[in-house]
Amino acid sequence: MSEVLTLDHVKKVIGGKTIINGLSFSVREGEVFGFLGPNGAGKTTTIRMIVGLMDISEGDIVICGKSIKKDFTEAIREIGAIVENPEMYKFLTGYQNLLQYARMHDGITKEKITEVIELVGLSDRIHDKVKKYSLGMRQRLGLAQCLLHDPKLLILDEPTNGLDPAGIREIRDHLRMLTRERGMSVIVSSHLLSEMELMCDRIAIIQNGELIDVQTINEFTEQATAAFAFETGNLGDAATWLKNDWNALMIDEGFTVEITREQVPVLIKKLTAEGIDLYGVKAVAKTLEDRFLEVTTK
Amino acid sequence: MGKLMINECAKLFRRTGTLVMFAIVILMIFGIGAVLKYDEVNNPPQENPAWEQELAKQLEADRAALQEVGPNNAAMKMFYEREVAVKEYQLENDLAPETGENLWSLISESQAVIGIIGVFTIIIAAGMVASEFSWGTVKLLLIRPISRSKILLSKYLTVLLFGGLMLMVLYAVSALVGLILFGMPDQAMPYLALADGEVVERSMFIQLIFNYLLSSIDVLMLATMAFMISAVFRNSSLAIGLSLFLMFMGGTGTMLLASKFDWAKYVLFANTNLSVYFDGVPPVEGMTLAFSIIMLLIYFVVFHFLAFFVFAKRDVAA
Repeated sequence: MSEVLTLDHVKKVIGGKTIINGLSFSVREGEVFGFLGPNGAGKTTTIRMIVGLMDISEGDIVICGKSIKKDFTEAIREIGAIVENPEMYKFLTGYQNLLQYARMHDGITKEKITEVIELVGLSDRIHDKVKKYSLGMRQRLGLAQCLLHDPKLLILDEPTNGLDPAGIREIRDHLRMLTRERGMSVIVSSHLLSEMELMCDRIAIIQNGELIDVQTINEFTEQATAAFAFETGNLGDAATWLKNDWNALMIDEGFTVEITREQVPVLIKKLTAEGIDLYGVKAVAKTLEDRFLEVTTK
Repeated sequence: MGKLMINECAKLFRRTGTLVMFAIVILMIFGIGAVLKYDEVNNPPQENPAWEQELAKQLEADRAALQEVGPNNAAMKMFYEREVAVKEYQLENDLAPETGENLWSLISESQAVIGIIGVFTIIIAAGMVASEFSWGTVKLLLIRPISRSKILLSKYLTVLLFGGLMLMVLYAVSALVGLILFGMPDQAMPYLALADGEVVERSMFIQLIFNYLLSSIDVLMLATMAFMISAVFRNSSLAIGLSLFLMFMGGTGTMLLASKFDWAKYVLFANTNLSVYFDGVPPVEGMTLAFSIIMLLIYFVVFHFLAFFVFAKRDVAA
């Protein structure tokens, strides 16, 4: 798979303070790339540098082989973006807003505009003034605005911010469709971890302006040692070695222990050998959130 | 560039505020027309049979003043020479001064509204860049395959278009209202100007357009300054406040300076009123039309350099 976006040792210094320190990663064609980090980690600054709203202090950002630094107009052509909230001209209608952006790209036809409006499901209200729109409708108009020129790379900063569950699901479905059917790549930044888990193929975690890790969602959640809850009868003496050797945590019904999947049968055999009644074993799934906190608080 | 200007115009003219500005200008013309008409009805114009004697008397006074002030004040000398030449020409050619009102008088009186147009143009210029920041739309505007300087240029040209359109509306509506209320003058009424020591007759229509443009120079410069402040500081209140302050106080302040210091001639406002070179006295002795035009160009270029340089470089963090 070819790379749509590459960050090469990107650095951003504002007023003598290093905000972003040597960030490097790539986004491949057709993937949803999550951009994760606590508030103030530098997510928005990075996105602003990718779309050319901010200068890059050091390093370079390359979009489809074109540097945003040296070849801004060519590179930005490939990008559709919403940076933070999708702010629109409130005194114009949704359609007039889209016309504004359509005029700034070459070759966007009326049919294309209509198609995009239908895609985001705004056909009924597109001729209303934007000031009458709900947040969800503005978000959809924002999405329409970045799809007009068929970009290769879609950048959505907090796309689900302030949306209700139906709206979030809608955005998620749109993203899936755009990546699957049109081969677009999407960068999503969010702090809603559960959302990221459902949306993204890979995620990058940044903290204090530095990249901590880039992993696929599966790797990310799997690598975590899962917690298992064992429902047992009276443990008796076994409690001692469970605590010492396995670092188990005693609960009313038995104990919980943090082990890998492979260790589960080993422990079960050991318990049965000791003659302890075993009623059930269940995995207590660790969420992305636990994993995220684990990684960022290290 | 055309498409960008369509965008800017759409944003400008689809706001109610802009349309209200046009409505105010038109209402003011009606107001001025009504006052002139009221005046004319109460004091119907009368032929002045003694106009030649009166004019001759004024001519004498002007000649005396020319003798007295002429040798030590070049600017005043110019002024009186012109007055004398024009009055001599009027007497020679038996051109009685127009007594009643006509459409030219309303167009001429309407020049007072150019100040209001100035205020409006400054407000528009100040909001041009700053509002994109306060609306947050600048983030969507600047991530297009168009350089920032092109976007800024389209915004500036839209300000000029707005100002120019306002002037045209002022001229055209004044002419229309004047024609309806007062009609054309009884006899052709040329404008008498002094060119190369000769008095020439000019068409009033062209001359008034020329006067309108001359009176708009300070509006143009102040709007450019407001635009610059707006692009550099991204703050429309600052741009409006400072520009309006200078618009109302700049002239007076410069005159005060000019009476004491010679360097006042380098101040922007000493140069914005070019009409002094045609029928008046420049603020500092020795100033010429060419000097003022060069000063205006320098200010103009500096304003634009600042606006374009800062806007093209600046990080957008709004």
